[in-house]
Amino acid sequence: MRARARKYGRIWLRTASMAVQAQLTYRLGSLGFLLGKMIRLVFFFAFVIAIFNHVQTVAGYSLAETALFFLTFNLVDMAAQILFRGVYGARRTVTEGDFDFYLIQPCSPLFRMVCSTVDFLDLVTIVPVLVMVGMVFARLPPLGLGRYLAYGALTVNAVVLVFAVHVLVAALAVRTQEMENAIWIYRDVMFMGKFPVDVYARPVRWALTFALPIAVMTTFPAKALLGILSPAWAAYSVALAAAAVALSLRFWRGSVALYTSSSS
Amino acid sequence: MKKYLVAYSIALQETLQRRSTLLMDRVGGFAVVLSLYSFWSALLGDKPSFLGYTRAEMMSYVLLINVLRAFVFTGRGWQTVSEISSGRISSYLVRPLSYHGYSLALDLAQKTVHVVSSFVEVAVLAWFVRGGVFLPRDPAAWLLFALSAALASLLFFFMEFMVSSLAFWTSESGGPLFCFDLFLQFAAGAFFPLDVLPAAVRRLLSATPFPYMVYVPVRVLLEKVSHAEAARLIAVEAAWLAAFALAAVALWRRGVRSYAAEGG
Repeated sequence: MRARARKYGRIWLRTASMAVQAQLTYRLGSLGFLLGKMIRLVFFFAFVIAIFNHVQTVAGYSLAETALFFLTFNLVDMAAQILFRGVYGARRTVTEGDFDFYLIQPCSPLFRMVCSTVDFLDLVTIVPVLVMVGMVFARLPPLGLGRYLAYGALTVNAVVLVFAVHVLVAALAVRTQEMENAIWIYRDVMFMGKFPVDVYARPVRWALTFALPIAVMTTFPAKALLGILSPAWAAYSVALAAAAVALSLRFWRGSVALYTSSSS
Repeated sequence: MKKYLVAYSIALQETLQRRSTLLMDRVGGFAVVLSLYSFWSALLGDKPSFLGYTRAEMMSYVLLINVLRAFVFTGRGWQTVSEISSGRISSYLVRPLSYHGYSLALDLAQKTVHVVSSFVEVAVLAWFVRGGVFLPRDPAAWLLFALSAALASLLFFFMEFMVSSLAFWTSESGGPLFCFDLFLQFAAGAFFPLDVLPAAVRRLLSATPFPYMVYVPVRVLLEKVSHAEAARLIAVEAAWLAAFALAAVALWRRGVRSYAAEGG
């Protein structure tokens, strides 16, 4: 087991290093993408701060609390982009025949497809987000260690849930050789996680908790830190992530079993 | 002119044929507008007005964002970059047509479909808006809005064309285009009214063409400016358009002169 983990660690490091080198080769392009990502982060954060120059609370949340929701969304979103970036090119990987090579390599094809591309730019962008999270923590009243642990655990749980979504998209690419836009639907719908789920009307809130669990990914960790998430919801969150991963892996295996090579 | 109409007609059919892509694009747009609507709705609560906007006006602003995003920000920048970088543009350069005119025809076809879809989405959301939306009774406000929005759409077309033209000199123009698109959307007021920002930032932005893309047309429709002021703003917008159109054409000509048909 340990040897296996070491092997995958080595593969990840090697492919991550290659991805970083590629991005550093295209300096102007990478700078543009990096600046764009920073603009998106800074403008939205400035918007939240500017809003609180005019109001005390939004949906009952203070500035620090609203910022916490926004930053948690960014943490989960960026972690997913750093770790699962390969899915963005899943359809191309299949249609150009690279997936055939993945299948004959002594490594999980799912790992190769989902995890072996690292967006170095998000690795850079996540640093200011972590700093801002630290600043928000400092502005919150003193909270027990348990709350911070719950926040960390549910944030990791959210990344696991996002992993399941990415596996599903990769499986769709293998099964249909299409669905390139499926990942972009996820990204667009994730936009709704920028704000606490409480701002939405009841039916939308329900949908974001049970049907498209954006709330579980972005709102629940922050609520756990603020002490307003019941243990039952935390348990639901963990169970949902476990079920989503199990189902997505099953769908992936089924898709690979049906795969008949599509490139040549 | 006839050849551009034919290009428009074919592009319209192509856009309608790719129903899943269109649906996914619209789902993304709808998610953004639903998020913003919910956020502003929660923020307004029972307040009669915020930043000088009544509840109905603010809701109209949010809904108009969806329409103007479809009408102004639907562009072909990424395709242009791809066509130049891959050398596919060669086949257009030898044809007896203007690439700008051809692009504009294709752009209009996309806009037609997206604007119609956005109207349907806005109509559905408007149905649920508590307190109604603001619709001006004065026909002049509608006319001025239509004129301002049309100029905004052309302004975006030429600005994006300029940034895309960088592909003649570098294969990395995707980064600057990404950065430009994101900055533009924030600076144009396509996520929130610029009134939220501090006065100094607003003054700075008002000296740029960006607010004329969304913020100005919406304020004209919401009758936040007098007819005389609206006419002045539209004249400034037209001047920006003329400047960017001339610059984009000049840059394109220089680009074509230095074009080496790489990959073509």
